[in-house]
Amino acid sequence: MNDVLVGRNLTKRFGQTVALDGVDLAVRTAEAVAIMGPSGSGKSTLLHCLAGIMRPDEGEVHLLGQRIDAMGERRRSALRRTRFGFVFQFGQLLPELPAEENVALPLMLGGVSRQRAVRQAREWFAPLGLRGMEARRPGELSGGQAQRVAIARALVARPAVVFADEPTGALDQRTGQDTMRLLVEATRHNDASLIVVTHDSNVAAWCDRTVEVRDGHLVAMSGATA
Amino acid sequence: MNLDLTWRLLKGGGRKGLLGVWLTLGAVAVSTALLLFAVAANLAFDARAERGAWRNPVPAAGDAVAVEASRFDYVRDQVITVVDLAALRPDAAPPPGLPRFPKPGETWLSPALAELARDLPPAELGDRYPRRAGVLGDEALVYPGELVAVVGHAPDAPAMTAERSDDWIVAKPPVRVASLAGTPSEDAEAYKVLAVIASVLMVVPLLVFGGAAARLTVARRDRRLAALRLVGATPGQVVRMTVAEAVLVALAGALAGAVAFALAVPYLTRIEIQGGAWFAGDLFPGLAVLAGVLVAVPLLVGLSAVAGLRRVVVSPLGVAKRETPPGMRFVRVLALLVVLAVFPMLTQGTSVAIVAVALGLAFLCLNLAGPWVVGLIGRITAGTARGPARLLAGRRLVDDPRSAWRTVSGVALTGFVAGFLGLLSPGAFAVDDRPLQLRVLAPAGQAEQVAGQARERLAAAKVPAVVTVVKRTVVAAPSGPLDTAGMDRARTALAELVPGRTATTEADEGRFGEQILLDVRVGTIVVLSVSFLVAIASAGITAASSVLDRRQTYGLLRLAGTPLEVLDRARRAETLIPLGVMGGGAILVGAFCATPFMIGGISVAGVVTLVVCVVLGFAGVIGAGALSRPLLRSVTADPAPRPD
Ligand SMILES: Nc1ncnc2c1ncn2[C@@H]1O[C@H](COP(=O)(O)OP(=O)(O)OP(=O)(O)O)[C@@H](O)[C@H]1O
Ligand SMILES: [Mg+2]
Repeated sequence: MNDVLVGRNLTKRFGQTVALDGVDLAVRTAEAVAIMGPSGSGKSTLLHCLAGIMRPDEGEVHLLGQRIDAMGERRRSALRRTRFGFVFQFGQLLPELPAEENVALPLMLGGVSRQRAVRQAREWFAPLGLRGMEARRPGELSGGQAQRVAIARALVARPAVVFADEPTGALDQRTGQDTMRLLVEATRHNDASLIVVTHDSNVAAWCDRTVEVRDGHLVAMSGATA
Repeated sequence: MNLDLTWRLLKGGGRKGLLGVWLTLGAVAVSTALLLFAVAANLAFDARAERGAWRNPVPAAGDAVAVEASRFDYVRDQVITVVDLAALRPDAAPPPGLPRFPKPGETWLSPALAELARDLPPAELGDRYPRRAGVLGDEALVYPGELVAVVGHAPDAPAMTAERSDDWIVAKPPVRVASLAGTPSEDAEAYKVLAVIASVLMVVPLLVFGGAAARLTVARRDRRLAALRLVGATPGQVVRMTVAEAVLVALAGALAGAVAFALAVPYLTRIEIQGGAWFAGDLFPGLAVLAGVLVAVPLLVGLSAVAGLRRVVVSPLGVAKRETPPGMRFVRVLALLVVLAVFPMLTQGTSVAIVAVALGLAFLCLNLAGPWVVGLIGRITAGTARGPARLLAGRRLVDDPRSAWRTVSGVALTGFVAGFLGLLSPGAFAVDDRPLQLRVLAPAGQAEQVAGQARERLAAAKVPAVVTVVKRTVVAAPSGPLDTAGMDRARTALAELVPGRTATTEADEGRFGEQILLDVRVGTIVVLSVSFLVAIASAGITAASSVLDRRQTYGLLRLAGTPLEVLDRARRAETLIPLGVMGGGAILVGAFCATPFMIGGISVAGVVTLVVCVVLGFAGVIGAGALSRPLLRSVTADPAPRPD
């Protein structure tokens, strides 16, 4: 029983739309799970519910045995900052901060001194193939480079789970695959679990298993089963 | 032109795009209202100068029709302007505000003086102006409530022939004039110059801010327009569409600003300068000026939009990729230093126009140097920051020092003057232990005789006093404490003791200097208030537009658990650090420069006013920034922000 994050019977409605309909999903330590499915099927909603961004209408979310969906926004926000990492499709880096400070930001928010935060942040650059990019600003990076900086930022505070919603959606195929490989390797290397939403089955292939969402249900699974 | 497409672009920005439009509209409205105020203030001083001109006689080149002289008298600590008139020809035209030329012996009082003469005992005021024939019209008054007396004489009366002081602060000797049109007096001209300087101080930051606001509409659409360019819209099309939009919004803003100004006029007329409030008509700039402003503002906004657009048009990728802006050069500071060095030479020419141009130039250069300094402050802030909020604030300052400078420029420019004047007290030149003695200069050889008359009159008026003669001056020193009523009895008793002269105290003579210092201070507070208004408006706009610009990033940061307070603190620091350093610094430097002039010690009232002004201003700037907090909350509330 080494499930890090467990979602049980997750249900979410937006007015008449049932975005999630009783979804169960458990993620183990250092496991990478891909969520696939057609547009509008509820992938992002599932991710948001698991990450404590949204509260499900029904069901529960447990992180390491602790129920998180019932927490207040303030505590969930602190939890997201300390226990989770996020990689989004685009535009998550602050344009005026150099790359290394963008990466150091979560550490500084957690109270780490600036010097230590930046020093720790720099250690991520070489492994992610970003050597020499430390002082560049997001506008001066390519899309793939910017996503790798975002990966560094998601991992720098040593989270338990990294959530990624179409992290390669704005990249071309090759860059997307490279970025995905780096994301999976880096999270695994840090003993973090990864939940990634994607449309690209090549991208999903980098993960340990894939779940598919259709009309708010988990319909199929491939790879190792839970 | 593609008006239809423009309209759709305007609407198509969605709720948040529309918010940008509202922000621009508000900014243009504030700018227009303040611009109208700056223009109206100048016209108002012109109007005062013109209305007061008849009291300042111009010697006749040829045939004279009348003799005119003037002097100052005092009651209850207020100044009375006394104009002595004598007709040389029966058909001499009367001065403005009088239905006919005053006959010898007649007096005409302004409404406020007539009322005062009714309310006070005759022995304190009324007896000075016997045989009152009527009340002066408003055309004769510089400001409502002014105390003016017109006294008719025969041309050969002693008052019209005796010598007077030729110091124009005290009196104007009799002059034979061809008409009573006169010319604006020296002090009126001085006030006009001060008004021009104050306007420059207000208008320069205002233009900078207005231009920035115009560029805001463009900035809001930067990415959209760059996208249009990328899909192949011609530069011409892009320019026309955006400019049309900016001009439309600006026209609406200008109209709103004009209405706001009209509503504010009744309050503005209460600002006392030269000892009095204003006629409402003085502050209405007139239809031509109004129309001019309503045309010029949208035009300027359009031009500003074109300038802002050049970036998009020249390099569509430049905006789409949001590259690092090129660093600012030290040359900017050099330009300021050069102008400051040349400045003393420029002002030698003392012509108002040259002084105004030189001043404007100095400020424009300050404006060039300002962003550089803000950038420096940003680098220092970011370099020394320990927490994330200050780091973000510092980086933002480095990233866009111009927008931060826009917020604080007016305060920094005025801060120096305010600091300087805040410490100077109007009473600084006049120590308050000046003797309470009435003095009047007697004609040559008659001092003893005049002193004798003074004793008799003061005794009759029951004012115990010791009258002595110092050279030609007759000095009446009250032998005991004297209240203002007693002082006015003494003044009334001594009226017309020496034809054409009033008995005055030392304090009376120092009044003009004190008044001008007081007025400069009122003016400074007005300019400082306007500057803070500009700063507040601009802080609000900068804060809101920076939230809008970064809504996606802020939203994603919040999803990742970044507390809103950190973002908020960063935004606050982003304005307050440069405001504190540049505004506070300027005020301190100004105060420092004032210390050598502080003879009578610090003016407590001045310091208190300055502090209140600064505290209100800072609070306003913080408040304006805080206004966009709900906006920040709403743009980050969306759990799935998408790029648009
Ligand atoms: N805030 C919202 N308000 C109303 N309906 C919403 C909201 N968010 C999502 N939905 C609806 O819920 C359903 C699932 O949306 P979701 O964003 O999870 O889909 P998705 O699988 O992520 O799609 P895509 O691949 O296009 O990102 C959709 O029908 C969508 O319209
Ligand atoms: Mg989605």
